[in-house]
Amino acid sequence: MIKAHQVSYSHKKYHILKGIDVSIEYGELLAIVGPNGAGKSTLLNVLANELKTKDTERIFFKEKTFSEWNIDDLAKNKAKFSQHNPADIPLLVKDVVIMGRYPFFEASPRREDLEAAENAMRKTDVFHMKNRAYNSLSGGEKQRVHLSRVLAQLENSITHKLLFLDEPLNNLDVKHQHKILKTIKDFTQKANTTIVVIHDLNLAAQFANKVVLMDKGKIVSQGEPSVVFTEDIITKTYGFPCKICDNPITKKPMIIFG
Amino acid sequence: MLNKLNIYIAISFLLLILLSIGALYIGVYNFEDKSPLTVLSNVIFNPAEVSLSEKYVIWDIRLARIVMAILIGSILAVSGTVMQGMFKNPLATPDLIGISAGATLMAAITIVLGAHFKHFLPDFLQFSLLSIAAFIGALGTMLLVYKMSTSNNKTNVVIMLLSGVAISALGFAVVGLLIYLSSEEQLRDLTFWNLGSLGGATWTKNAVLFTVLVFSYVILLPKGKALNAMMLGEKDAEHIGIPVERIKKQIIVLTALMVGTCVAFSGTIGFVGLIVPYILRLLFKSNYQLILPLAAVMGSILLLIADTISRSIVAPSEVPIGVLTAFMGAPVFIAILIRFKNSM
Repeated sequence: MIKAHQVSYSHKKYHILKGIDVSIEYGELLAIVGPNGAGKSTLLNVLANELKTKDTERIFFKEKTFSEWNIDDLAKNKAKFSQHNPADIPLLVKDVVIMGRYPFFEASPRREDLEAAENAMRKTDVFHMKNRAYNSLSGGEKQRVHLSRVLAQLENSITHKLLFLDEPLNNLDVKHQHKILKTIKDFTQKANTTIVVIHDLNLAAQFANKVVLMDKGKIVSQGEPSVVFTEDIITKTYGFPCKICDNPITKKPMIIFG
Repeated sequence: MLNKLNIYIAISFLLLILLSIGALYIGVYNFEDKSPLTVLSNVIFNPAEVSLSEKYVIWDIRLARIVMAILIGSILAVSGTVMQGMFKNPLATPDLIGISAGATLMAAITIVLGAHFKHFLPDFLQFSLLSIAAFIGALGTMLLVYKMSTSNNKTNVVIMLLSGVAISALGFAVVGLLIYLSSEEQLRDLTFWNLGSLGGATWTKNAVLFTVLVFSYVILLPKGKALNAMMLGEKDAEHIGIPVERIKKQIIVLTALMVGTCVAFSGTIGFVGLIVPYILRLLFKSNYQLILPLAAVMGSILLLIADTISRSIVAPSEVPIGVLTAFMGAPVFIAILIRFKNSM
């Protein structure tokens, strides 16, 4: 799906990413984790073709570099949810969600566009507020509106789509955190791919097939959750002691700090 | 949603036509027993029956001026609306980023200094010197502001707005200086330029304005979706397939063309690009798919009303139209400031 070979990124004199190698296959849910300033969001932005570097030519999305894609096809094949969403968009909720369908219609949304938007709004529980002003929503609700916009964008007939999510769960309550991750999991199980930057290691362990642990611009460890989440690696990377046991409900690794 | 838009557009067009007919009836000249509308239809279908002076008043003065108000009002409102979309700020208008100031600056220089070298120029250049100067001023300002505020293909909106402030200050200073150098007649011209007037309307100017309007609107009016998407932030707009940098360049070049042409023919008529989108936003929120095409018609309506008042309220003299638009625009300006004082 997407491969990056020896990708670096620096801003002014600071090297934020140093020689990153990653490769993600169809149907995988990859979680990028790591302490603050590890370069997680930067890696996501570089992979999503949002930050351009001289190494962008070494990233292959479906076997092609981004310069070989045209912007319309890219928008149908991949979507991104950004960490910082604008607080002020003087539109209704449904007007914001329908933006995810902009790559698919010219002037006026077709029936399938409205349906895709409606489905997406149901998945993130914002359908009941579709006629409210976006600006009147709380932070978590706004975040769910943008999540449904991104989901609506990828509801199309193309096989193998790629979804980028930058800390999608930050302002959400427990129920919505799990509901969103479940939706994403369903999406990846249809041979699509998701790359998500996430802070909660336990949620990462529970939902991801593959974890990339980063620190200071480098990948410390990558692989299945059980490989990456060991007491040794986590304690060293986060500089904070932890214990790992089996989650009694999911049987996945459970990380307890302290 | 687009059906709704078509209805609004149809209603506004109807209103515009009614207002135009109304404006045709207002004026000092007395047509005796004939109504201006019959005279106009005679001019078109039955030219032998119309006296020269009647034809001149109805065709070359009133109708030319009405059409010019319609064209300029529309162009100014649309350029204001697209600029606001690009800056994501309801106060961004061509006046604000300095395009109008740049155009006026060049026009003022031409009025005062042009007198000295006018005689050495061929006739056709003398005639259009002012228009060309204003257009060059607008385009030059636009390019300067764009160069100053752009690096790595990205535009820094704050720098762009502040360069507009700087250029307006320069324009103000130069006009102030020129006032001391100018003769009495030139002073009147400068005042005309600063406050705006549609008194100089001709069909040639209207033809130029119409060409500019059609050319710009073909490119700009379908950009409603793109301007909506840019509210998400430019990067997220790119993720949904909007070629943001290309659209910004189109907006910049076409706004310079539109505003430059308007300033050349009518001086600086301020605030139209502020008032019209503000009213439309109150009604339709910021959905550019609706407010961009509607601004094109509402701008015409606003300026036609303002111009008809400006030429009839103290007839046979007239109040500069910029005075009237400023009276309407300043309260809107203040209203926006109050509304956004917490977020700006």
